[in-house]
Amino acid sequence: MSTIPRVSSAIAGEPPHFGSVLAHQPAIAESFFALYGRFWGSDVLSARIKEVARMRNARVTECGFCRNVRFDKALGQGLGEEVVDDITDGYETSAKLTDAEKAALKFTDALIHDPELLNGDARAALQRHLTPAQIAELGLGVTLFLALAKALITMGLEPEQMDRTVLPTPAVLEAAE
Amino acid sequence: MSAVCAALAADPVLASHYADFSAKTEAALDPALVALVRQAVAAVHGMGAAPDESGLDAGTRTVLAYARRMPFEHTAISDAEAAAVVAHLGEAGFVAFSVLAALADAECRAALVDLPRLAGV
Repeated sequence: MSTIPRVSSAIAGEPPHFGSVLAHQPAIAESFFALYGRFWGSDVLSARIKEVARMRNARVTECGFCRNVRFDKALGQGLGEEVVDDITDGYETSAKLTDAEKAALKFTDALIHDPELLNGDARAALQRHLTPAQIAELGLGVTLFLALAKALITMGLEPEQMDRTVLPTPAVLEAAE
Repeated sequence: MSAVCAALAADPVLASHYADFSAKTEAALDPALVALVRQAVAAVHGMGAAPDESGLDAGTRTVLAYARRMPFEHTAISDAEAAAVVAHLGEAGFVAFSVLAALADAECRAALVDLPRLAGV
């Protein structure tokens, strides 16, 4: 896995990072940020569960950037590091993750790794803890987390070193509405 | 329609945003290449036949070989492989292609877990 950018920044004076590289395609960038803001701004599914799924994807896809970013909305909903530490193999036995979060994690693993993991029991648990609308939103989120992590990695945008960084949760820009 | 879009039927605003993102990504590339990339990625997942590459130029075959690595080998793609795709598509094309191939992979996976049915559609 390369930490040398495979594409240049499209923003003068800025190093290559996801935003500056995506700026090579302004229409894609604008549409993506509008989508991502709308997704995180929706409260159909809590930011905490979205962030739990995002953390799991970061670990499985080996996205160092994703793994070190925290969104503040989920922090405000109690997703501290002691909980994040349990989003690893064996999360099923965690005492800190809720049953709904464990069901969301199993769904995440099924989508990003092996669909067979969503067997009868796992499927029933998912549908017991989340409504159809929440599952749809979770599915959108995991799709985006996975795609963006892979795009970021394959464009060589993984940081060589990165501290844990809390960022404002993506939001809908008023001008975009 | 992708499995993700179908699953979002109860939230037309979010579905519309997702469809727009996918459409803008596809619009940045040649439509024939978009179709080939999607078909190549789907074939890796066992969702249909691989594209017939017999009439394709070397650059397009290079792009498709790269796309086939996205589902299960994304961390193993080398700088040289990426450089070959950049040489064929240019930097802006490489960015759009990277998003497209990754999105195509994720959409296949969403279909394989039958996301629309889970979402009650």
